[in-house]
Amino acid sequence: MATVLIADDASFMRQMIREIIEPEGYEVVSEANNGVEAVERFEEFSPDIVTMDIVMPKQSGIDAVKDILFRYPAARIVMCSALGQETLVMESLEAGAMDFIVKPFKPESVLGTLEKILEKEI
Amino acid sequence: MSLDRAKYERLFLEETSEYLAEMSQSLLSLEKDDAFVESVDTIFRLAHSIKSMAASVGQDDIAIFAHGLEDRMQAIRTRGSLSDSGELSLLFRALSQLEEMIRSVHTVGATVSLGSDVFMALKSAGPDDSEPAHAGAGAHAPKKARS
Repeated sequence: MATVLIADDASFMRQMIREIIEPEGYEVVSEANNGVEAVERFEEFSPDIVTMDIVMPKQSGIDAVKDILFRYPAARIVMCSALGQETLVMESLEAGAMDFIVKPFKPESVLGTLEKILEKEI
Repeated sequence: MSLDRAKYERLFLEETSEYLAEMSQSLLSLEKDDAFVESVDTIFRLAHSIKSMAASVGQDDIAIFAHGLEDRMQAIRTRGSLSDSGELSLLFRALSQLEEMIRSVHTVGATVSLGSDVFMALKSAGPDDSEPAHAGAGAHAPKKARS
């Protein structure tokens, strides 16, 4: 069973991701509502995958990606973006995020993306 | 699989209620010329979140309106200041309209027209507003920030 950390400042979005992935066997080990918490929770729980929102308070998702990958280069991180954030998605991928999913979430897209990055060799 | 739409509509109304209150506080800070960068970042981020949540529950008019506000906040952030007192007034009116649109979800759906003067004013480019809105909160500092 793959473990997941969900980082998003909106409780609404965290619940939606959780509801999509838990029935498919993913275990949500923790949640974070800003970039600083995301880094802390990653260190605490070492999840197999992180879903990372881009726009968050205190520290952006992109900066959190950089912090996590600096210390844990094998981390698997998926960005959660919205329409109009293409530049930031590209910046996230350049920072080392493995893929992205677009809001509003389509369950099949979320699940397909997580499955795909779990299969990738690091 | 399908998600429980009624549940997410309820969550949308609960969470946006908190966001609107926080936006109001940030606008009052802007009015007092206090904590400019933080206030603009906060309103940008909350408008962005409302946009995503509204789109997720099929409230497309609210999503489009919130996107207009998000773009305007990004323009202000890039510019580093409000263009004039009229822009602050526009933001207050935009918040009021956004509240009205979300409130109307309780009853008959979002009925406030996107053709309103407020939305048109949000979308019209102010001075030095030529750059597109792409930056996330905290991702890029404003060019001429004042605190």
